[in-house]
Amino acid sequence: MTALLDWVQQTGLAVQIRDSLFAFPLLESVHVIGLAIVFGTVAIVDLRLLGLASLDRPFGRLAGDTLKWTLGGFVVAAVTGTLMFITNAAVYFHNVYFRAKVILLVLAALNALVFELTARRAVAEWDQAPSPPPLARAVATLSLVIWIGVIVTGRMIGFTATRAAATAPSPVETNFEDLLGLPAAGEPAQPSGKNPE
Amino acid sequence: MRDFALWLATTSPSVFIQEHNAWTIPAIQSVHIVGIALVMGSVLMIDLRILGLAWADQTLRQTTRRFGPWLTGSLWLLLATGLLMVIGEPVRELVTFSFWLKMTLVAIGALVAVLFQRALRRHERQWEDTLVHRSSVKALAIVTFLTWACIIVLGRLIAYDHVWGSWSPAVGQ
Repeated sequence: MTALLDWVQQTGLAVQIRDSLFAFPLLESVHVIGLAIVFGTVAIVDLRLLGLASLDRPFGRLAGDTLKWTLGGFVVAAVTGTLMFITNAAVYFHNVYFRAKVILLVLAALNALVFELTARRAVAEWDQAPSPPPLARAVATLSLVIWIGVIVTGRMIGFTATRAAATAPSPVETNFEDLLGLPAAGEPAQPSGKNPE
Repeated sequence: MRDFALWLATTSPSVFIQEHNAWTIPAIQSVHIVGIALVMGSVLMIDLRILGLAWADQTLRQTTRRFGPWLTGSLWLLLATGLLMVIGEPVRELVTFSFWLKMTLVAIGALVAVLFQRALRRHERQWEDTLVHRSSVKALAIVTFLTWACIIVLGRLIAYDHVWGSWSPAVGQ
C-alpha cells in the first residue's frame, strides 16, 4: 500500500497540481460547490421523507427532480476529491479524519441502498402521503446525520493534514506522522493533537 | 482596516475563539458549509424551475414559496457564522482581496434573491404567464447560480489570497 500511495503522489498529474499556485485552491472550491449541491439536494429529499417540507408533491416526482443533481454534484466532488488526495496520498491515507470520512461515505451508500431495496420498492403505497413509512423516515434521519458528518470530517482533514508543499524534497522520506503529531501507520489512533493551521 | 482587524483580535469573543481554535474554527466552518449547501440547493431548484428543468408540475410561485424561506434563512445562518469567523480570525479575513470581492457578490446575490421574491409576490400572474418564459429571465437564472458558485470559490480563496498577487493586501506584509 505504501508503494502504491508513493507512486500515486509521484505521478505527473499529482506533481502538476502540487506545483501550481491555483490548482489546489480551485480544486477545493469546486469540491465545495459539488458537495453543496449534494447536501442541498439530499436535504430536500430527506426533509420530504421526514414529512417536514414539500408535502404537496409526490415523493417519486420530487426524487426524480432532485436525485440526478445529487449524483452530478457527487461526481464533481469525487473527481476533485480524488485529485486533491493524490497530491499527498500517503498523508491523507493515514489521516484519521480522512478514514472516518471514507467510512461515512460507505455508510451513506449503504443507507441509500437499504432505502432503495425496502421503502422505495413500495413507493406506490406512500408516494402521496405527507408522512412516509417509519423506515423511510429513519433512513432520512440517518442520511442527514451521515452527510453532516461527511462535511465535518472533510473540513477536519484540512486542519490536520497540511497540503504538500510545491516541489517538496522527496515526500517519500519525510516523516509526516511525526511532523503532524499523528499516529503512524499501524499504531492505534490517538486523540488528535493541537490544530497545526 | 488592518488596525481595526488587529483591535478586533484583542476583544474577548475573538480571544475565546482563538484560544479554543482546535474546535471553534472547524465547527463554525462546518456549520457555514451546511448553510452554503442549503443556499445552493435552494438557488438550484428555483433556477431549474425557471429553466423548466425541474418542478415543472408546480407554479413558479409554489416552488419559490417552498425554497425562498430556506434560501433567506440559510443566508442569515451564513451571516452569523461568517461574522464569527471574522471575529475569530480578523486579520486572516479582513485583510484580503478575496473577502471584499466575496462580500460585494454576496450583497448582489442577496439583493437579487430578495427583489426576485418580492417581484414575484407583487406580479404573480405576469411572472407565471410571460416573464418566466423569457430568455432574459432564464439567462438571469443561470447568472445567479454562477454568482453563488463564484462566492463559494472566493470564500475558499480567502485562505489563499496570494493567488491575487499585488491585488492582495496580505501580499508583502
